[in-house]
Amino acid sequence: MNLRRLRLIMWKELVQLRRDRLLLPLIFIMPIMYVIMFGYVVGADVRNLPTAIVDGDHTVTSQRLTDAFSSSGYFVITQRPANEASLKGLVDSGQVKVAIIIERGTEAALTRGETVPLGVIVDGADSKTASVASGYAAEIVAAFDRGLLEKAGRAAGGPVLDARVRVMFNPSLKSVNAMVPGLVASILMLSIMVIMSQAVVRERARGTLEQMMVTPITRAEYLTGKVLPYVAIAAVQMTFIVLIGRYWFGVPFNGSVWTVALGLILFTLTSVGMGLLISLVSKTQQQAQQTVMFVMIPTMVLSGFIFPIESVPAAIVPLTYVIPLRYALVVLRSAFLKGSGVLDLWAPLTAMVVFAVVIFGLAVSRFRKRLAE
Amino acid sequence: MQFPWTKTDRPRPSGVDDGDAIVVSGLRKTFGDFVAVDSVDFRVKRGEIFGFLGPNGSGKTTTIRMLCGVIAPTSGGGTVMGYDVVDEPERVRENIGYMSQKFSLFQDLTVDENLRFYSGIYGLTPEKYAERRAYILRMADLEGRENELTGNLSVGWKQRLALGCATIHEPKLIFLDEPTSGVDPTARRQFWELLNDLANEGVTLFVTTHYMDEATHCNRLAFIYRGNIIAEGTPQEVKADLTADTILQIAVDRGEEALAALEGLESVDEGYMQGSLVHVNLGRRTAEDAGLREFLVDHGFEVGAIDRVEPTLEDAFVHLVTQQGGRA
Repeated sequence: MNLRRLRLIMWKELVQLRRDRLLLPLIFIMPIMYVIMFGYVVGADVRNLPTAIVDGDHTVTSQRLTDAFSSSGYFVITQRPANEASLKGLVDSGQVKVAIIIERGTEAALTRGETVPLGVIVDGADSKTASVASGYAAEIVAAFDRGLLEKAGRAAGGPVLDARVRVMFNPSLKSVNAMVPGLVASILMLSIMVIMSQAVVRERARGTLEQMMVTPITRAEYLTGKVLPYVAIAAVQMTFIVLIGRYWFGVPFNGSVWTVALGLILFTLTSVGMGLLISLVSKTQQQAQQTVMFVMIPTMVLSGFIFPIESVPAAIVPLTYVIPLRYALVVLRSAFLKGSGVLDLWAPLTAMVVFAVVIFGLAVSRFRKRLAE
Repeated sequence: MQFPWTKTDRPRPSGVDDGDAIVVSGLRKTFGDFVAVDSVDFRVKRGEIFGFLGPNGSGKTTTIRMLCGVIAPTSGGGTVMGYDVVDEPERVRENIGYMSQKFSLFQDLTVDENLRFYSGIYGLTPEKYAERRAYILRMADLEGRENELTGNLSVGWKQRLALGCATIHEPKLIFLDEPTSGVDPTARRQFWELLNDLANEGVTLFVTTHYMDEATHCNRLAFIYRGNIIAEGTPQEVKADLTADTILQIAVDRGEEALAALEGLESVDEGYMQGSLVHVNLGRRTAEDAGLREFLVDHGFEVGAIDRVEPTLEDAFVHLVTQQGGRA
């Protein structure tokens, strides 16, 4: 490996990239756009749910409870029906997604130090909205209860409201937390696969690959010189995502840097390998583009990036095991958010090692052979 | 028929480097069942322009790639500038220049950046680079256009810059694979002047082309057909076989139809189109014997001049391929 030649190949690659009026801006706009899009839209918390309140109590307490709901930002009180009977119609017609029922005598019972039930009805038609709304309602009531207890000067066993909602799962109030580590992995894969396969295919179509192969450039130098610039670019993109996640969305980083780094390195090797394989099967840049799409769509859908694996039909689940991004997501999310170490994550890490060795190894050996032809 | 330049009559190379630029013996390459190059032998002397001719798919490019150390031969081998193409491909590549019909420049780099890249790849010193850069810019008529994107240059300039990049390290042997295809006649002539200059400096040129007029620039030629070298020698030697034959050039309307009709005649050995004119080889027969004009007029063609012409390399090429039982 001759460092002078390696440096030249990388320099050339970066100059070519700098001249690309479309690709260069895309490289930097893409991660920003994706993280904001996924952060706000896909991972968005459900807000402004149309809500009905049936206030049977008409007291200061019931008014404060109503305010607590409306000021949370998650619920907008749009209806104040006089009784429960009219609720069904409102929910059925979709005019409200949530209804809160405050029974008559609630304040009086609380004053007596009793626990009072509070009815929360959630429209179950949209399971995600329903479960998230239930979670919010429970949180608001819990916060309200803490206020009551404080006022009563007691830590527990005091007068509280008991929100009767079924919380189907503990809703993460910030789904963007799981989205950012996922985006890091997806952008890494997308970026390396797209840009690298394009660069190699273009070089072969224009004959410059053929030309370089009759110079003293070795295959190892060519491969390394081709791969490193795009890995560096992917690293810049990932840094963008992490910074936006950290400082814009406030995503915490509780993880071990080493575990994250290990996961990223393994996944980079896999992505480079996929990019090389795509450049091998594609004769034109358009074909490479289509092949990337062919790979990316199932990857996005079946890896758990957008839809949880739990929501994948049982018949299709076996397919998710051959999606490398699946394991990268587990490793990165756990390492980012929960601080899981290498030992905790040995199973997905092993899978990632296998993918990296098989895909990268296969790509490099095939690529070295095909360079000549 | 045996002629001094046919393959079977030639002494086989010993495989020992005796100073020839290229020595090839038994060089063979197969892809699966397909024999791309079938055990060819030839040698190229230092300082000569060696023309390597043959139709598309006949094994020209495969041979060059083996000689450049890019692909390994299935069997056989050879030396290039004294280095073994199988054992020392890196040394071979350091000592040759290569230019293909694609003028493999980086289109999105400037003229200067292309030169800088290739000079760095061959490890030129800064002084040497400055000298070669100045020379190439002058040679390619690109002085003052150093910062233009290569992709914006017209084809003639691209071609000369590609030659400059391929020869930036002053190799003593240059492979040129169809270097002038797709280039206009003026640029082709200019390009051949450059090649002649190089040859005068003692550089060996190994050129493939399918322009037969270009083949006449070569000191020696080899015809490759279906992986075999079917003839080798100077242009005169290659044409020598045909000098006793009668070659007629016929101006006729609907040339393709006329050619098809003429090829059915027993007196016509070979025929093909040369531009809009029909060439026929009557072998040792004379023009009068053949009665071609009457034949064509009878068949409703409008016949212009019929002239006896000296055999061209193209005539020789058609003749050789026909002898091999194929069509050019």
